[in-house]
Amino acid sequence: MMLRFKLNGEWIECEAEHNETLLDLLREKLGVKSVKRGCNVGECGACTVLLDGRPVNSCLLLAPLVEGRSVETLEGLRDKPIMRELIEAFVEDGAIQCGFCTPGMLISAYSLLSRNPKPSEGEVRRAIAGNLCRCTGYVNIVKAILDAAERLRGED
Amino acid sequence: MEAEEILEELAERGEFIVIGRGVRRFDALDKALGRAKFTADYVERDALVVKVVRSSLPHALIKGINIDEALKIPGVVAVLTAGDIPGENQIGYALPDQPFLNDVKVHYVGDPIALVCAENEEAAFKGVEAVEIDYEELQAVYTIDEALSEDAPRIHGGEDNIAVTTRVRKGDIEEGFSKAEAIVEDTYETPYQEHMYIEPEAAYAIPEGHDKVTVIGTMQSPFLVREKVAGILGWNLNQVRVIQALTGGAFGGKDDMGPLVCAKAALAAVKLGRPAALILDRDESAAYSVKRYPARIRYRSGADAEGRMTAAEVDITVDCGAYANRAPFWLWRMTAHAAGPYEVEAVHVDGRAVYTNKVFGGSFRGFGDVAMHFAVESQMDMLAEKLGLDPLEFRLRNVLRPGSRTTTNQLLDHSVGIEECLRGVAEASDWWNRRGEVKRIEGKLRGLGVACAHHGISTSRGAPDWSAASLILNEDGTFTYRTGICELGQGSQFGHAKIVAEILGAPLESIRVEGPDTDSTPNARPTHGSRGLMLGGSAAADAALRLRGRMVKVASEMLGCDEGDVELKDGRAYDRRRPENSVSFRELAREMYIRGVSPAAYGFYAPPRRYFDPETGLGVAYPVYTFAATVAEVEVNPETGEVKVVEVWPSMDVGRAIDPLLIEGQIHGAIAQGLGFALTENLIVEEGRVLNPNFKDYVIPSSMDMPRVSDVIIVEKPYRHSAFGAKGVGEPAIISIVSAIANAVYHATGIRFRTLPITAERLYRALRGEKP
Repeated sequence: MMLRFKLNGEWIECEAEHNETLLDLLREKLGVKSVKRGCNVGECGACTVLLDGRPVNSCLLLAPLVEGRSVETLEGLRDKPIMRELIEAFVEDGAIQCGFCTPGMLISAYSLLSRNPKPSEGEVRRAIAGNLCRCTGYVNIVKAILDAAERLRGED
Repeated sequence: MEAEEILEELAERGEFIVIGRGVRRFDALDKALGRAKFTADYVERDALVVKVVRSSLPHALIKGINIDEALKIPGVVAVLTAGDIPGENQIGYALPDQPFLNDVKVHYVGDPIALVCAENEEAAFKGVEAVEIDYEELQAVYTIDEALSEDAPRIHGGEDNIAVTTRVRKGDIEEGFSKAEAIVEDTYETPYQEHMYIEPEAAYAIPEGHDKVTVIGTMQSPFLVREKVAGILGWNLNQVRVIQALTGGAFGGKDDMGPLVCAKAALAAVKLGRPAALILDRDESAAYSVKRYPARIRYRSGADAEGRMTAAEVDITVDCGAYANRAPFWLWRMTAHAAGPYEVEAVHVDGRAVYTNKVFGGSFRGFGDVAMHFAVESQMDMLAEKLGLDPLEFRLRNVLRPGSRTTTNQLLDHSVGIEECLRGVAEASDWWNRRGEVKRIEGKLRGLGVACAHHGISTSRGAPDWSAASLILNEDGTFTYRTGICELGQGSQFGHAKIVAEILGAPLESIRVEGPDTDSTPNARPTHGSRGLMLGGSAAADAALRLRGRMVKVASEMLGCDEGDVELKDGRAYDRRRPENSVSFRELAREMYIRGVSPAAYGFYAPPRRYFDPETGLGVAYPVYTFAATVAEVEVNPETGEVKVVEVWPSMDVGRAIDPLLIEGQIHGAIAQGLGFALTENLIVEEGRVLNPNFKDYVIPSSMDMPRVSDVIIVEKPYRHSAFGAKGVGEPAIISIVSAIANAVYHATGIRFRTLPITAERLYRALRGEKP
């Protein structure tokens, strides 16, 4: 079937199978490789994207369901002020080790800071609870998100 | 000047340029931008999809394999079985007990039998379903006791199910126990742990002409992968090019899984003449990939009235699962660390690894030392209690010090910082004031526990170990550094670059690291055993020192000064006596090329030769040890049995901190993995079947489970024979946290768990009187 949706701010049209997930469509057909396949059953969060501004696991979403909607990935978000600050803080604070969970983690963090510019540590932890990381123990990820929030508020 | 003198001089400057400082690691930005490429990101759309047909029975003879129906499925291109292997159908690591594709017998649920190669994933799945295997089921063996019973079926033939044995005989054990005031004896069991790296195992193979193949994959040992792929194909090593893609977490597991997935993709690509990719599904990875070896340890130890250890008698059984894989190395590591980081006069150890019909064990961060220290550190707590001593004080009386001898009677003459680690965490956690009585806060029980760890760096038993690297000064004054040490998240390559920068006085950004490609990088040997920085980095130092010698010589001639007066700094060579007299590395490089002075250096490093006697288990087991101590505070909810780790105070003697931020990262991550192993990670295996191969039911810590982690206390007791004295960090980090949590649970509840994990259900029952 033909599918029309907004990918990173631009309307696109593409062919999609009825049983294809958004994750596979993005990675295999559209070349959006920042979205990672870690479990394919909605448990690890490595494939997190924004759907109409909310974080979702793209492996759980059938591609035809995004018809007429907006999908955003790191490719489209990396130049936005909030994401730039998050990326800077992740790099600076040692929040990145292997990097496989990083794009999904950043999407969840971006979503949080878009809604809540002054989150508590507990709110940060909750916001990324669906993004599993096996390398960092989350300590420096939480720190980076709090640091980015602080800088965005101009309280550096 | 000799290499060692130069290093010493640099180390004695007191101030380093990049070493010891937190500098941005260069791979982080691409990872944060989503531009970093992992194996799956290389796979082209027209590549064949490879899926594995696996045994559905734990132990059976294969009577027939029928692939006819599978081949009729649209999109299925081929089904490969043992008969299609041009080389040797054998991929065992330590012992030749592991067929690559089984055609005679299967040894565990998940044993590979055939490879379905298809145009797409859906066809591949259908193909796997359609392959028919005719089995004759055999009696299966699931436990250590079953494996050791006289009438047990022999899984790999032979006289029994024992794959390997070990022993240590140090001192007079009877005399040791006769001097003891307190003796404690118990049995400890540790379970499987699944790595659960977020990136599953993957390999992508591309045929190059008729007689070469390139394999891109997840791995820790590119040269081992090359050897195994060549073995399966029956090719020479130089016909196989192996490239390690950025690897999304490994923790040991991808050391063992790398060859297995890469050889499968390579076989498909070469047989069918098309690029082929094998990417494991999560459930496949969790159920059938290697795991931390389960172990059972019987431990008897004693201490005298002064609180000094006198004897330890240890009996270890490792459950290999279906294949030995790394079991000999795992078991030797446990054996050589059996007394813990303590001086014990008399130590007897007996070990064995046995086969069972379950998923086989393999490398996992900390190797056998996590299990071994769980037993040791429980015993230490129990002995302290029996002697009426504080457990931390009791440890302080017994820890290894310079001049001490280890389990294997190895003399430690320097680089022994366990006492400082222990004192550090005692002070940071306010141990002496806070240990006191168990506190109840809002109906919850609080407890404080301590544990120590030591971990030998590099190979066990004094087996030869070495590493290599190469470095080129380019015409524009920049450097290309090549290493076979893999980037797995830990950042070792970045540590190498810092070592090179420090020695050459080169700006860090002028050094570009090229990761493992067996066609161009020197063999650095595996990225395991916490050797990536110590051995790989020392090879980097050797290459840099060789190049430095030539740079200094040419610079002295250009500057008209003595070689001894040349200083390399900030990408320039200076005359120390007239600093205004200098040349840039670009000018220097050009001059070297014109004069025909080699701008390339090959670095090689081997730690000092060691002696070890496998008969007595005595000798120099490892070149050097990393030490760690941890205090953990837990809060137990008696209503639910849940344990919450409230705060952790970590410390480590790292030799020299090349990069404090990388060390902190390793320790944080290990705290999470250790916490999971101690409390929640519970792989359920029934009749050889893994019942919970997913993140939902096999629970690894999330951001909600992490405790407050206090600042890492870094102790620096440099090792004399490595670059700047650095020792390995990655594995030692996970050892003491596990026991610190278990000991804290005991402190909070009075219940000692001798098996892990301490799940809420087990603790709930134990609090209500059931045997833990």
